[in-house]
Amino acid sequence: MTGFRSLTRRSLVAGAAAATALALPRAVAQAQPRGYDLLPQEVAAGLWMITGAPESFARSNGGAIVNIVLLASAEGAIIIDTGSTARMGAEIRAFADQRLGGVARVINTHHHPDHWFGNIAFADRPILALPATGDLCRRSAPDYAASLYALLGPWMAGTTPTPPGQRIESDELVIGGRTLRLLALSGHSAADLVVQDVQTGVLIAGDLLFLDRAPSFPDADVARWLRALDRLAGLETSGVVPGHGPFHRSGAALAQTRQYLELTRDRLDQAAALGLSPVEAMAAGPAPAFRALGANPEEYIRTVAQRWADHERTALPVIGGL
Amino acid sequence: MGALLTDRLPGGAQPVLQARTGRAAVGGDAFDSGMWPLHREAHLGPGAPWRQDPAVMVLAPLSAEDSAHVPFVIDATALAGPVGRIVVTIDYSPFSKALTFHPGRALPFLGFGVKYETAGALRASVQAGPDQIWHVGAAYVSALGGGCSAPAVSHARPDWQRGFGEMRARLWPDSGRLRLCIRHPQDTGLADGIPAHHLTSLALHDAQGAEIARLDLHEPVEENPSFTFLLPPHLAAEPVTLHAQDTMGNRLSGRVEPST
Ligand SMILES: [Zn+2]
Repeated sequence: MTGFRSLTRRSLVAGAAAATALALPRAVAQAQPRGYDLLPQEVAAGLWMITGAPESFARSNGGAIVNIVLLASAEGAIIIDTGSTARMGAEIRAFADQRLGGVARVINTHHHPDHWFGNIAFADRPILALPATGDLCRRSAPDYAASLYALLGPWMAGTTPTPPGQRIESDELVIGGRTLRLLALSGHSAADLVVQDVQTGVLIAGDLLFLDRAPSFPDADVARWLRALDRLAGLETSGVVPGHGPFHRSGAALAQTRQYLELTRDRLDQAAALGLSPVEAMAAGPAPAFRALGANPEEYIRTVAQRWADHERTALPVIGGL
Repeated sequence: MGALLTDRLPGGAQPVLQARTGRAAVGGDAFDSGMWPLHREAHLGPGAPWRQDPAVMVLAPLSAEDSAHVPFVIDATALAGPVGRIVVTIDYSPFSKALTFHPGRALPFLGFGVKYETAGALRASVQAGPDQIWHVGAAYVSALGGGCSAPAVSHARPDWQRGFGEMRARLWPDSGRLRLCIRHPQDTGLADGIPAHHLTSLALHDAQGAEIARLDLHEPVEENPSFTFLLPPHLAAEPVTLHAQDTMGNRLSGRVEPST
C-alpha cells in the first residue's frame, strides 16, 4: 500500500515535470544546463585527465574551464582539483566510482574556485591542500560563490563551498601504492601546490603553468611566480598537465607562461612610465603575441585592473602629502 | 582615438576597448532613461538643455573586476568651443554625483576611478560651445556591487594612517599628461561605525600660483584615488602644484616637476 502510494506520487511528480517542460518556451528549455559530459582521457599509465575549455567563466561552458586529474590507485582514485560546480564534482566522482574503484583522496592545488568548488561531491572523503590554501578557501568562499552564481547561474545549483579539511605538510604522499611528490610553491597565488606522479613522471602543475590560455593574475606576485617557474624548469618530467591548457610532453607551457608573465609585466611598467591611465592600458590590449590566446583580451583586462597599482607605484615618485 | 595614449603600447593602435555611443553607451535602453531624467534635473539644473554627443568619449571596461575601483577616462577634447564644467554622474549609485571637473586652462580630459554599487552607466555631462548647452556621453559597466557600502580596505590594515595623504605624481611635458595618486581612505560613511571621510576638492596651480584646473569630489571616488589630467604644452613645461582638502579639514599639497 505504501509502495503503491509513493509510486503514484512519483508518477504525479513526473507528470507535472513533463507538463512544465512542455509549457516552457523553447529558448528557456535550451538554457537549462544538462550536464558537462566530462570526458577523462588516459594520457599516461593510470593518469586520467579532463581538459578544461581555454576560456573564462561563462554560461556557455558552465565553468568547465580547468584541468582535472584522476590517478588510479589500489585504494581508488586520487583526484587533483574538482572543478567549479557541484555538478562538475558529481560527474568526476561518477567516473571515479565506475571506472577507478571509488575515491581515495582529493587534493586541491590552490584556492581559486575553479579548482575546488566541486569539492561538495567529495565531502565524505579526505580533501587535502596546503595549510594556507585551506585558510584562503574559507576566507574567500562567500565572494567566490556570489561571483560564480552571478556568472554561471543554474550551473551552480547545489554548489556549497566545501574547503579542504586536511593539511598537506609533507613533501611526499603514498596512497594505494601510488607515490606523489609534492612541491609547495607560490606566485600565482599565496600557496600553489605542484604534484609529480612518480610512477609516470607527469607533473601536475596547477595554475603555475598555463598553455594557449591567458594566465590569470588576481593574486599574482610575478617575481615569485617567475622563481617558481625556475624551480619547475629544474624538474625531470615525462609530461605536463598545466592548470589550464592541453597535456603536453614538451616545455611549451613553461616557456609560454614565462614569456606571458614577463611581457605583461613589462607592458604595464611601460604603460605606467608613459603616463597612461589604467583604462588606456586595458584598451591597448594584451601584448601582440598574446592577443589570440584563449580568454584574452578579457583576462588581460582583468590583469590590468588587478595589478595596475603595483606597476604605477614604481613609476610615480612621492611629491607631497599632509 | 583623440587624446588617448593607447597607441604608445605595441599593438595599441588597434584597441580592444572602444567608447560606445547611443543605446550601447547606457546598457541598451534609450539614452534618456532610468535615473538620468532625475539626475539631470538635480545636477545640471531644472530644464537644462542637453544632448547626447558622440564627441564626448567615455571609456571604461565592460565589466568591473573590482567594484571598489572602476576606472574611467573622459575625453571631450573633440568638442567645439569653450568647455565649462564637466559633471560626472552614476545612474544607479547611492551617491549619484561623483565629481565636477572645471578644466579651466587644462584640456577637457580626465582619468579617474569610482566605486560602483551595481551595474549601470556613468555619464559625463560637458557644458560646452557658444551656447554652453550640455553635451553628454556615457559608458555602461556591469558590476556585482558592494563597492559603495563596503568599508575601505585600508581600515583593515593597522598602519593605514602611516602614509595618509601621501601624493605621488609625474608630469610628462611631451604628452602633457599629469598622473596623480593620493593615499586617502575615501570612506562613504555607509559602512557601520566608520564616519564619512573623503576628499572634497583638488586644484592644480601653475608656477605663478594661478589656478589651472579644479575638481570638486564626492563620495563615489575610489579609495586611494588616482587622476589623469591633460595640460597644454606651455603649462606642462613648468612645475605644477597640487592642493587637496578633505571633509575633516586636512590639507594636502605637493609639487610636480616636468620629467620625461
Ligand atoms: Zn588559479
